[in-house]
Amino acid sequence: MAGRDPGMSAPDRRWAVPGTVRVGPSVFVRLKLRLVAGNLRGSVQHLLGFVFTVIAAIVFAALGFSAMTTLRLASAEVAGDVVTVLFAAFLVGWAVVPLLAFGLDDTLDPSRLALFPLRTGQLATGMFAASITGVWPVATLVVMIGAVAGLAGGAGGALLGTVAVLLHFALCVVLSRLVTTALSGVLRTRRGRDVLAVSVIFVVLAAQLPNLLLNGGLSADPGAMLRGVASVLRWTPSGMAAHAVADGGVAALLAIVVLAALVAGAGWLWIAALRRALVSPDASTQSSSVRNSRGLLAGVLPDGPLAAVVGKELRYARRDPRGRVGWFAAVAVAGIMAFSLNGEGGPTGVALAVAPACIGAALISMQWCNAFGIDGRSLWMNAVAYGSDRDWRTDIAGRHLAVATIGVPLLLALSLVAALLAGDVGWAVPATLTAWGVLGVGLGVGALTSVQMPYTVPERLNAFTGAAPGQGGIAFVASFGALIGTGLLALPIVLPVLSGLTWVAVLAVPYGLLLSAGGRRVAGKAAFARYPALLQATSRAT
Amino acid sequence: MPDAIEAVRTQGLFKRFGQQVAVGGVDLVVPSGSFAGLVGPNGAGKTTTLSMVTGLLRPDGGSVHIGGVDVWRDQVAVKSRIGVLPEGLRLFERLSGRELLSYNGQLRGIPRAEVEQRVDGLLKVMGLTESADKLVVDYSTGMRKKIGLAAALLHNPGVLFLDEPFEGVDPVSANTLVEVLRRYTDSGSTVVFSSHVMELVERLCDWVSVMDGGRIVAQGPLDEVRAGRSLNEAFLGLVGVQGDGASGQEGLSWLGATPA
Repeated sequence: MAGRDPGMSAPDRRWAVPGTVRVGPSVFVRLKLRLVAGNLRGSVQHLLGFVFTVIAAIVFAALGFSAMTTLRLASAEVAGDVVTVLFAAFLVGWAVVPLLAFGLDDTLDPSRLALFPLRTGQLATGMFAASITGVWPVATLVVMIGAVAGLAGGAGGALLGTVAVLLHFALCVVLSRLVTTALSGVLRTRRGRDVLAVSVIFVVLAAQLPNLLLNGGLSADPGAMLRGVASVLRWTPSGMAAHAVADGGVAALLAIVVLAALVAGAGWLWIAALRRALVSPDASTQSSSVRNSRGLLAGVLPDGPLAAVVGKELRYARRDPRGRVGWFAAVAVAGIMAFSLNGEGGPTGVALAVAPACIGAALISMQWCNAFGIDGRSLWMNAVAYGSDRDWRTDIAGRHLAVATIGVPLLLALSLVAALLAGDVGWAVPATLTAWGVLGVGLGVGALTSVQMPYTVPERLNAFTGAAPGQGGIAFVASFGALIGTGLLALPIVLPVLSGLTWVAVLAVPYGLLLSAGGRRVAGKAAFARYPALLQATSRAT
Repeated sequence: MPDAIEAVRTQGLFKRFGQQVAVGGVDLVVPSGSFAGLVGPNGAGKTTTLSMVTGLLRPDGGSVHIGGVDVWRDQVAVKSRIGVLPEGLRLFERLSGRELLSYNGQLRGIPRAEVEQRVDGLLKVMGLTESADKLVVDYSTGMRKKIGLAAALLHNPGVLFLDEPFEGVDPVSANTLVEVLRRYTDSGSTVVFSSHVMELVERLCDWVSVMDGGRIVAQGPLDEVRAGRSLNEAFLGLVGVQGDGASGQEGLSWLGATPA
């Protein structure tokens, strides 16, 4: 392996390749550009996506740069704090985002370069060069340079500031490389990718956190909050870089020295990680067994297709990252709603408890507006066993039962929390009953959209799309159709409860059961009639 | 053509995708109890035909009878009688091998105790007992084909349809598959499988149907179809590779690259 010759004194001359040219960073830059170009060739969709990305990056850079320069209008202290927070956000973003997009860029996976005769140092500089080749790195750099225009005083300050910004940018890049390289072994395994897919949801939620804090009225004074956050970040690399730009002088010089040391340290760690990643084995074939349990519910249910489908669905909710993400997202969004509805100008009274619970129920049922999507390519196994519309109805009933098994207690808990937050535990009763009713309505509507507007759910989760290429439209129509249908059909029970007629909640559960049964009946007939189309729509290549 | 009861008979089976005719009037016949091979070059329509025969793809025209029953009229009767292993190893990835088989058995309404007994037997024969509790997503290609075949056999079907069952399978696993299939046909059941691999078809099959360009170009007992030549030579002659130009050479570029 290049870069770790175990004390070979005199290399055999015969092995020397005549006329070799030193592989510099420019080779990696060209490789990266060629990969980008190759990815665009022949695909209008990719080309449009690329054009859109470029435009977005240019807009981001221009807006960011001008926003940074207008910081001159603010007081020096506020400007310094804003830049500190922003630099820190960049640093964290650089560490986390490439991790979530791993596999999109061939130059980022060191294992693909392992067979080339390159020294680790060469590889490191090359991959560094390749990572800063791209529209987003350039946009980041432009915005950061904007901080120099916005903060620095005098020519000397600007000079030191530019150096500090460049070092901070280098730290962003090296840190991002370090994180992906250190984890690349894990990311190549199925289990690692599963964990990562689920962690996407936490990143999305974490991004909502500041928003939530600002909205929740926890901080009446944004200025104080900014000061607080900035003071915490003062001695982080980002804080030091920001202050180096703002303050100049000897302090800036010291900050630059520290930053340079950090870059060098992170770079050294990265090279060490790279060296290890190149020779460590691919662990993806090692896997542990699953527990061979039948599950509580499957033990209670009578033997047959219904129990089979319920058992399979419950296992998928647990084992498939897509299932886990769906449940997490529904609960998290409902929880956020419960918090933010409590702010000023929101509803009052029992609605405070009922509304979040019902929204939670609608969101849970929404995941099953394409109930066959996750089965996708394996759905044929059911299709070759089902010979009548009754079989398909049983299948859908099994799916609904599995959702209810998780969803019913979950909605109870959600209603309790919402009622507690709203200030009256007693409101949990109408909230729970209504939410259960809404879940039933949603599942009934979802059964119809699942059969009439099925689409493929990609194996690999992506934060931006939930459907196979070319099916985005149908996925959109299906989910919005299901949402609107559920909303309209749930009105007769939800509206009276929300307006204070809480006794109507008693009718919610029978109403939901009735509608879900109706949905299953119609959907079962339709599924039997058009299951070949259903199979095709859910097993597109992704 | 023999007068014995036919396991499979299609008449004028037709399927078109957009402008392209994938299957243009196929009259496939497979006598009961035979080990039948469906051979043909890539794009000949083998997969499309098998999908339509097994009720996974609706034909645009023509009819399919299995054991004398119309596939698209009486699905309950047909589906309980056939076992299917489609192309592409599409399985429920997040179930373990054992769970996948149990799921199949239960879907078909076999009593649980009976399912468990059959599952244990199949896992043992397929050499999958040790990996039975691993998720299918972590299985190798050979293991996936074996678990797929086990799932197709679980309800003891009368006719088994396998699309490229030996593709990408190591010799040891392939041998297991062959042994299970031999035992199955010896008991009088029917196997229909598609393949590129002529040697395999020649070794296993007693009945061959050759497809090209969406049609059956030859069909009958193995010895009749190959007529004294090797099946490979007969096949090349049938699909129109007379060695008269570059196009023929190009069309066969897959042949050498396919592992046996």
